Amino acid sequence: MTSEAPPVTGLALQVKDLRVSYGPKRAVDGVSLDINEGEIFGLLGPNGAGKTSTLSAIEGLLKPISGSILIRQVDARAHPELAKALIGVQLQSTSFQSELKISEIVKLYAGLYGVPLTKPEIFDSLTEIHLRDEASRRFSQLSGGQQKRLSLLIATVHDPPLVLLDEPTSGLDPQARRQLWDRIERFRKEERSILLTTHSMEEAQAVCDRVAIMDHGKILTVGTPAALIAAHRDDPQVRQAAHGEVTLEDVFIALTGRELRD
Amino acid sequence: MTDDVILPKGRSVAVPTWSSSLNVLLRADSTTQVRTSLSLVLTFALPLILLVATGLGKNSAVLGGPAFRISLALTVGLVSIGTVGYSLAIARDRDTGVFQRLRVTPAPTWTIMVSRWIVQLGAVLVMAIVVLVVAAVFVGITLPPQNYLFTVLVALLGSAVFLSIGQAIVGLIASADTLNAAGRLLYVPLIGLSLFGDSDRLGTTVELVSRWSPGGCLETLLSAAMGATAWSGQSWGALFASFGYTVVFAVIGIRWFQWGAR
Repeated sequence: MTSEAPPVTGLALQVKDLRVSYGPKRAVDGVSLDINEGEIFGLLGPNGAGKTSTLSAIEGLLKPISGSILIRQVDARAHPELAKALIGVQLQSTSFQSELKISEIVKLYAGLYGVPLTKPEIFDSLTEIHLRDEASRRFSQLSGGQQKRLSLLIATVHDPPLVLLDEPTSGLDPQARRQLWDRIERFRKEERSILLTTHSMEEAQAVCDRVAIMDHGKILTVGTPAALIAAHRDDPQVRQAAHGEVTLEDVFIALTGRELRD
Repeated sequence: MTDDVILPKGRSVAVPTWSSSLNVLLRADSTTQVRTSLSLVLTFALPLILLVATGLGKNSAVLGGPAFRISLALTVGLVSIGTVGYSLAIARDRDTGVFQRLRVTPAPTWTIMVSRWIVQLGAVLVMAIVVLVVAAVFVGITLPPQNYLFTVLVALLGSAVFLSIGQAIVGLIASADTLNAAGRLLYVPLIGLSLFGDSDRLGTTVELVSRWSPGGCLETLLSAAMGATAWSGQSWGALFASFGYTVVFAVIGIRWFQWGAR
């Protein structure tokens, strides 16, 4: 699953020389990425590496100081509303209107994406993610895993060709994490492209066709997990980090350092 | 729908029109408004309690005539909705990420805030009608027919003033907790100033400041709208000052507003 990238049939996302700053601090510094149609791409990096800022710029939440973002050849900076219609987004921490029921939240967001859902259709979609019985509850009353499932449902309610997932499995127990991976696998079968960020190397190896490791706002390396391991297997720093067989995590530690990040 | 983009695998993505986005948001925001107990208390309970309470006791006449009782109830309702209810709801949704989730949809960003304003104006309209009906039916305070219309129009103008003050507060103060405290602190002087516009019991300086404060201007306009005083140069001054307050505070609130938690 992770050894070979899918054949290139077209670009779902093309980011070129993206730069994002918060005042004097440069959060994203010349990031370039290409994501192919039907590809699952992982963006890895320690805290503060610039992963979420990169995603936020693609999502239109942050205004880059320079660079270009093409989503299926649509210039996201020139046509933000059309670009947003082409992507599904699961933010790192999501909350919905606290007074709305789950079924009303689904209806609201489907409407905002121009997908008018009937009540039976809403209940069907909730049944699919095992939340049919929670339809009348509030978002805050759901467990962490249920909240993530609902967020993912809403991210894909308009059947987008590109889905952006910011740390989709953080805080989930192993069962919920596996369930989410299964959903991501289904997205792959539906030939969606996915850009996800994660701190879990296990997750990156399990679900991603290619990964990029970034730090200090820059992409350090890009490739399939297997290719990255092969390419860095003999680096002294990687050998030092490895306990036995070299893993993606060893490559990650060797490239980004051992010091703690806030 | 506009700007349809045809994608492979039979997918089609459309950008909803701004009117359909606004329509969907209005429905959700109205539901939220109706289900929020704080907003119901501020919108209806507080003005009605004041309307009735100011008529109790032997010395109730000291507080003012019937027109003063209605205008006090309306003013307190408007100040409460704008500076406490509205600003707190906006700050809470900003802190929890509700706005960021909405902003990654194709809905134009301005529709998110305009929907909130329309719902607040609707709440004020209903509040004004309820206060006037209760005043007529249960308290025995009636006005000439045309004065009802003027009073409701002035209430809507007053709500624009206090919503823009609420917007300025939420633009200048980042956290919901700080804003909650600041809103309550501001609430007392705003109400207090509106009470002393027609009285020099606290000195002429206080009277002058009070008369030209947002609440004082509203009191002047309500008094004229209800026919308790004749429309005069001071009424025109209060009208222009109210427009001025609305523009100035709205500009401050929009200029410094941040969609995400800082």
